[in-house]
Amino acid sequence: MQLLVEGLSAAHGPRRVLSEVDLTASPGTVTAIVGPNGCGKSTLLRCAARLHRPDAGRVTLGGTDIRRRTPRALARDLALLPQQPTAPEAITVRGLVAHGRHPHQGLFRQWSREDEDAAREALEAAGVADLADRRLDRLSGGQRQRCWLAMILAQATPVVLLDEPTSALDLGHQVEVLSLIRRIAAGRNATVVMVVHDLSAAARYADRLVAMADGRVLADGVPRAVLTGELVKRLYGIEADVLSAPGDGASVIVPRQDPGTDTSSTVNKPTR
Amino acid sequence: MRPPDALVLRAGRLSLALPKRGTLVAIGIAVLLAAAIVASVAVGNGRTVGWRAVEALFGGENPFARRTVHTYRLPRALAGAVAGAALGLAGCLTQTLARNRLATPDLAGVNDGATVGVLVTVLGSTTATIGAWWAGPLGAIAAAALVVLIAGGMGPTGYRVLVVGLALSVTIDAVTELVLARQPIDVARGVWGWTIGSLNARGYDVAVPVGLGLAVLVPLALLASRRLNVLRYGDETATGLGVHPGRWRLYALTIAVLLAGLAVGVGGPIAFTAMAAPVLAARLAGNIRVPVLASALTGALLVVCADTLGRAFGPVEVPVGVLAGLLGGPFLLWVLLSGKD
Repeated sequence: MQLLVEGLSAAHGPRRVLSEVDLTASPGTVTAIVGPNGCGKSTLLRCAARLHRPDAGRVTLGGTDIRRRTPRALARDLALLPQQPTAPEAITVRGLVAHGRHPHQGLFRQWSREDEDAAREALEAAGVADLADRRLDRLSGGQRQRCWLAMILAQATPVVLLDEPTSALDLGHQVEVLSLIRRIAAGRNATVVMVVHDLSAAARYADRLVAMADGRVLADGVPRAVLTGELVKRLYGIEADVLSAPGDGASVIVPRQDPGTDTSSTVNKPTR
Repeated sequence: MRPPDALVLRAGRLSLALPKRGTLVAIGIAVLLAAAIVASVAVGNGRTVGWRAVEALFGGENPFARRTVHTYRLPRALAGAVAGAALGLAGCLTQTLARNRLATPDLAGVNDGATVGVLVTVLGSTTATIGAWWAGPLGAIAAAALVVLIAGGMGPTGYRVLVVGLALSVTIDAVTELVLARQPIDVARGVWGWTIGSLNARGYDVAVPVGLGLAVLVPLALLASRRLNVLRYGDETATGLGVHPGRWRLYALTIAVLLAGLAVGVGGPIAFTAMAAPVLAARLAGNIRVPVLASALTGALLVVCADTLGRAFGPVEVPVGVLAGLLGGPFLLWVLLSGKD
């Protein structure tokens, strides 16, 4: 199912944060939205999840405007993992993943065979089946994030939105979670759109990179083609080298040292 | 995979996931509540106490004992149960909405609004010594509307509503005191007991209409319970799961305000029940689901027990609100100081 954003403009109070943004995300691909803090990338994701009302433009899912669907119908097609999701006190992983089935349930359809299969597959796909009866708040950050992804997987939607899914994780867990996100796109032919901070991670795990600054899209395309030193400078205002990783050829960003703030050189140089 | 603590029943395309522990706990509390009502009937002044009262309750021959039990004691116990159930469920809803165990209708100014409403009906009448129950929900709705208006909407966590409610409830409380202070002492004393929560002279005239209100509102709350479970995840995740947070928060808050108003209409602003009942119910029934039914039953049990205790010692009865406060203070400390289990 294709996610289409057309001419989207949005504001926080008087401050304009999105200006006529267009975006197309296709099934089976991971689209990464990158950009400096406050560039509007999270707002874009929130508009697509109907958490923020845009001033102009529209978001369509498989051809229909998301505003014209009921919340439940939309939740059967589009799942969202917020940046810092909160869970009820003392909930277990099993309880969390079971709630992922909510949009498919009703008063007399409380736990169908389909719910049962989807939840089991989600637990296994996220590699958290052995944690099912553990309390979520007693797990490590990486385990917890995989459990949240299991909940999203249980929701079994063709479109998945993720807001900084790796921001609080160490390197090992980042790789684990990003690989899982790749598998969701490839294995389920899902349309995955995520906001990420780490440019190198975005370059390695996303099929498409959308770079934003000041509420506008600066670049949109295959990471290797889009990601240049020039773009990094326009996004973050720093000089950086874009290298090719020896292992897989993915782009790696290496910021250049600014002589003015280079601490090692001031230590080594004797005072004039 | 099965959801936690669920008995899954399926027939064709229909499926139910019934809470195992929650159902057992609800049945257990209901049995205790029945026992507490019988005990409540057996306690009081005069000679119709203990076994003699229990006998009269279940069809004994003594006409005087029968009259005492069926005209005064049982209606009063049932009125207490109804008020307690309403408070317990109202507290469960507000605590779930605010995601805070201290968030009760009392804090949002709802109880005080209801109190003023009922008080007006007492003082406006020349004969009545106890207020009209229906003024409770009206006062509660007025107070809630005022709070939401001043707070400028519901807000994402209800925090603002609570702060405004707190300020407003102090103000309304002062108005109550002011109105009472200007009354002749005998009138003031008669009404005073009720303004701190009392079931004195309450009977079927209030228990029946308020019980009917519960018969509508409890199923409405139960219908929303699956969505309440999801609302506990916060607005963003709830939206992602297809639950419109604003819509369902308003739905649940409206039910909570009506319940709290009805409860005040019966027994005045009985303290702590709305806070304690849902916490106790969650300890017993577990945290997997919002304990909608268990909170109502626990609230009923608490109020019936407190009222019985208030009549058990000496000829002068202690208003249920005072006892609830005496028991509730230490409970509040326990909730605040005990870590998350």
